[in-house]
Order: sequence, then C-alpha cells, then structure tokens
Amino acid sequence: MHRILYLIQKEFRQILRQRAYLGLIFIMPFLQIVVLGFAITTDVKNVPITIVDEDHSAMSRRLVDAFSVTQSFDFQGLSQSSNQAKEVMKRGLVKLILHIPPDFEKDLKNNVHPKVQAIVDGVDGNTAGIALAYVNQIAVKLQQEWYSEMGLHPEELLEVHLTEVETRMAYNAALESVNNIVPGILAVLLMAVTAFLTGMSIVREKEIGTLEQLMVTPIQNIELVLGKVVPMLVVAFLLFNVGMLGAGLIFGLWMKGNLFSLYLMLVFFCLSTLGLGIFASTIAKTQQQAMFIAWFFMVFAILLSGFFVPIENMPDFIQMITYLNPVRYFMVVIREIYLKGTEIQFLWKEGLAMLVFGLVTFISASLRFHKRLN
Amino acid sequence: MTNSGYTVHVENLTRMFGTFKAVDNVSFQVKPGEIFGFLGANGAGKTTTIRMLCGLLLPTSGKAIVAGYDVYKDTEAIKRHIGYMAQRFSLYEDLTVRENIEFYGGVYGLNRKQIKTKTAELLDYLKLWEHADKLTASLPLGWKQRMALSTALLHNPDLIFLDEPTSGVDPESRRNFWMLIYELSEQGKTIFVTTHFMDEAEYCHRLSIMRDGKIVELDKPQSLKQKYKADTMQDVFMKVVQKVEA
Ligand SMILES: Nc1ncnc2c1ncn2[C@@H]1O[C@H](COP(=O)(O)OP(=O)(O)O)[C@@H](O)[C@H]1O
Ligand SMILES: [Mg+2]
Repeated sequence: MHRILYLIQKEFRQILRQRAYLGLIFIMPFLQIVVLGFAITTDVKNVPITIVDEDHSAMSRRLVDAFSVTQSFDFQGLSQSSNQAKEVMKRGLVKLILHIPPDFEKDLKNNVHPKVQAIVDGVDGNTAGIALAYVNQIAVKLQQEWYSEMGLHPEELLEVHLTEVETRMAYNAALESVNNIVPGILAVLLMAVTAFLTGMSIVREKEIGTLEQLMVTPIQNIELVLGKVVPMLVVAFLLFNVGMLGAGLIFGLWMKGNLFSLYLMLVFFCLSTLGLGIFASTIAKTQQQAMFIAWFFMVFAILLSGFFVPIENMPDFIQMITYLNPVRYFMVVIREIYLKGTEIQFLWKEGLAMLVFGLVTFISASLRFHKRLN
Repeated sequence: MTNSGYTVHVENLTRMFGTFKAVDNVSFQVKPGEIFGFLGANGAGKTTTIRMLCGLLLPTSGKAIVAGYDVYKDTEAIKRHIGYMAQRFSLYEDLTVRENIEFYGGVYGLNRKQIKTKTAELLDYLKLWEHADKLTASLPLGWKQRMALSTALLHNPDLIFLDEPTSGVDPESRRNFWMLIYELSEQGKTIFVTTHFMDEAEYCHRLSIMRDGKIVELDKPQSLKQKYKADTMQDVFMKVVQKVEA
C-alpha cells in the first residue's frame, strides 16, 4: 500500500515541474469562461432574416421597413408563405423568420393584440438569443411610434402592449443561456482533463521507457493505476474549483447548492472519465493515439449529454443511447446543484447511474492494464 | 520454485511477433555468480530474450526458469528477485537524482529510513553528492547509466539483467561501468548482460553469439578465440557470421 504514496509523490513532483500543467489548472478554466463570456455578449450584426407578410397593409409594411433598414438584420426579402420561409431557413439562408398574421392592422386599430411570430434558428443559441432581443426592441420602438401617432399619451403608452412577439426556437427549444452553459463548460473541462491527462501520462511513460522499468518492479497493477489516477483526480478537482471561482467572478454565477454534494458527484463522474483515460492508454502506443482515442469517445459523450442540444430534441433511439452516457447525468447534476441548489437526495438516481458506469468503466479499464508489454 | 542448480535455465525458448520469429528456439544455462554475455547485432533478438526472462513478454513456446521461477506462471516472484536495466535509459529525467532513488526505493518496498541510508550509500558510491538535487536530465549519459544500475539494485537482487548498458557511452565511462559489473560479480551476483561491442565480450565469463533469433555460438571467450583461431572477439564474431552465412 505504501508504494502508492511514492507513486503519487513522484507524480506530483513531475506535475509541479511542468508549467503546462499549472497553466492548465489555473488559467484554462478562466480563459474558457472569459472567451465564452465574450462570445455571448458580442453584438450580433447582419442576421439574415425573411418576413412573411400575410396582412399586406400599410402598418405591416412599416414593420417590414423597420427590419430592412437596421444594421442588425440583413433582410433577404419577403417570403410568400410560412412553408416557403421555413424552406429558406432549412437551407441556411436565413436565421430568423418574422411572421405577420392576417388582420394585423385591423387588430391593431381595434386594440386587439396581434401576434407577430418570430422563429429563430436556434442551432447557434447565442446569436439566436441576441437576435430575438433585437426583434423585441424594434417591435417596441415601432409600437411607441404608432401610439403617439394615434394621439395617445406617454403614460397610457406604457400600459399598452401592441404587438406581442411570440418567440419560438426552431431547433433548440430550450435556448442555452449563460447560466446553463457555464456549468456545462465545467463538466466538459473536467472530462477533458481527466480523460486526456490520465491517458497521456501513462502513455508518456510507455514512450520514454519508464513504464517498462516499473513493470519489472514488484508494484501491483492496481497500485500503478491508482498512482496515476489519484493525482489526476486532484488536478481535476483543483481545476474545477478554479472554474467555479471564474464563473463567480466573471458572471456572478456562484454555487447555490451544497459544495460537498457536488464534490461527491464529481468523484462519481470522474470514475468513468479516468477509466476512459486508462482504457485509451492500454490501446495507444503514442500520446497522440491516446489523445485521439479519448477525444473520439469524448465527442460523442459531449454531443449526447444535452450540453449543446437538449436531449428532448433528439430522435427517440438516440435518447435511449444517452442513458448510457455518464456525462448526461453529470450535466443534470451540476446544473441542478450549481444553479438551483437542489438537494442531493433528489439527485440520487443520477448519482447512482454515474457510480455504476464509473465503477464498470474504471474496473474494466484497469483490468486491461497489464504489467506486460504486448 | 524449481531448482536445477542454474540461475537461468532456458530450453527451446521461442517468441514470435506475428509470423516473424524474433527468438528462435534458444537454449542455454547461466550458472550462479557468472557474468553471462549476449552478443549480437541490432535486431538479433537480445532484448526480446531478456524481456521474456524478466516476465515482461510471454514466450510463444519453450521453457525458462529464472532464479528458480517459471516465466509463464511466477512472473511476480521473478520480479522480486531480479534487477533489470532496460536498454533505454529509464529513470525519470524530470526528477532529481535523489528523488529517483527515493522513488525506486519506495517502489521496491523500502521504508523511509532504509531509503535514507541507501540514498547516502549510493551518492557516496557514485560520487554524486554534488548533483544529488539536480535534475537527472542534466547528468552525462555515463553517470546516468551508473545511476540507473544502482537504482535497479536497491532491493539487493542476486540476479541482474543489463540490456546494452553501455551503448552510446564514451569509452572511459564504458570501462567504469564494467568495473561496476565486476564489483557486483565479486559480491556473488549473477549478471546477464547484452552488448554489441565486441571488446566488451572479452570481459564476460561465458558468452553466446546471437544471430537472427538463434544462438550460433556459446562458450568462454578464450575457447571461442582458440576454436576460430582468432586474436580478438571481433575476429571471432566475423568468422562466426561468415560460417553461418556459408
Ligand atoms: N513488439 C514487437 N513487435 C514486432 N516485432 C518486434 C517487437 N519487438 C522486437 N521485434 C523485432 O524482433 C527482432 C529482435 O528485436 P530485439 O530483441 O529488440 O533485438 P536486439 O535487442 O538484439 O537488437 C527485431 O527484428 C525487432 O524488429
Ligand atoms: Mg536490444
């Protein structure tokens, strides 16, 4: 047992001598979160838009004009029907459809609230969110103009809502907000670090030959594996905390729930990602191969985690597959605990699922790890 | 545990990589306390043989008993009883000399106190006190090799495998290294060493010449020189190779 302590000590000595590792732990989480922050607050310009005007009235034309002059939108012309507009969106020519219903002007004059529908291509969630905000701004400005033309007083104006822009995401029903993305980024960072670094650090010893030397010592398999995994878990843990600090400092997004619940879930989750790293190291001969193998699995795991695309929007059979994906559970757990402060007893199912997958992955990967060269 | 009186007992040992026979039906015995040499050009199969004997590679067929243990079943027991220095330098270059010794000491199961004593002993012996806290990467190769040998001996094994310990090392360091080997031999340790330097072959008590996975000669250097009527092992080697090709 005490051999493990020497392995861990050695691992930390090596980590502390590598600047890249320290950068990884303390700078990468901040950087990711900052970059993300910029991506979200960046002005959106020239979002291609098409409008379906079913009213063909003076009022509806003013609305169309308002959208065609602004810098924020790039007006691609009118569409004849809702279907035609959707076709255009499907081909990627527009990102936004504005649908003006029949009787728009009539309803307006009769003080019935007409509903203008905006359909956004939600694949790019950030752009979509900002585009929608612009749509609302333009609509509100227009409605103020109309009311003043109709002789209403500013006080009354505040009371009246003329157009209600009903928004709907075409492909991303639950538009990702910063709040949802930040915990997601933390989960992805955690996964990348544990899977990549574990795999690469084992394979590096294969490449330089030190693993062969270790293999002729009386060290046991499990000691070798734990000696690699424990330091990586500590690195991941530090990185995660730095990431949370970043989320707090940059977005004011502080942890709402119980920190220790989240830590416990983190360990359950990392069992599978560490297992993935070990698995990659048993196949790979070079660090690049280890990275590629870990990357291959990670891409699927992240895509099927509900991070980018909500799981409800996936085809049924793919939804079934996501139940086999530990990242799926961790996304839920981290969002619930971090954002809502959900108590751990409501998340036991996710926790259990992660623990089971974690143990299976970790143990089967460790069993593949032999003290022999192949 | 099997006891045949030999420290290493190999019969018809073969290792295939796919359809390629890297080690082809070799048989030999190493006596206790011997310096046994394995001579051969690159690719002859020396490393593959050593790896099988250390329990790192499973043989395809044949029998091998090392320090009384079977290489098929008792690899872990073998590992407790042998020291192994791989062909490639395999200490951690990004650890200091002292840290490397501490690490391998810990891995071989020494306690803190034993490690401390051993470290002092080794630093004295290798005259490395000045460099104790420098990164291993900064040492000249000759010193690194002597250090690697010392760390491979932290658990005081009776049988030591050295795979080309002197390749890439300057002539003076090579002589120093062989002095170390002789010291170990005088302490009663059995040494199995591979080399492609012909002059080093003279230092061995007995040696085998390997070619294309086969052992083509096995005897004392003196006897081989007589047999081939040669003055140096270099000549012997050339004649052996010619004989095989003919
Ligand atoms: N893991 C392996 N897979 C395939 N071929 C190998 C492997 N290891 C060694 N070989 C081949 O076996 C032969 C003997 O190699 P080796 O034992 O390293 O020779 P030596 O140590 O005498 O230079 C070489 O031709 C080498 O290419
Ligand atoms: Mg070799």
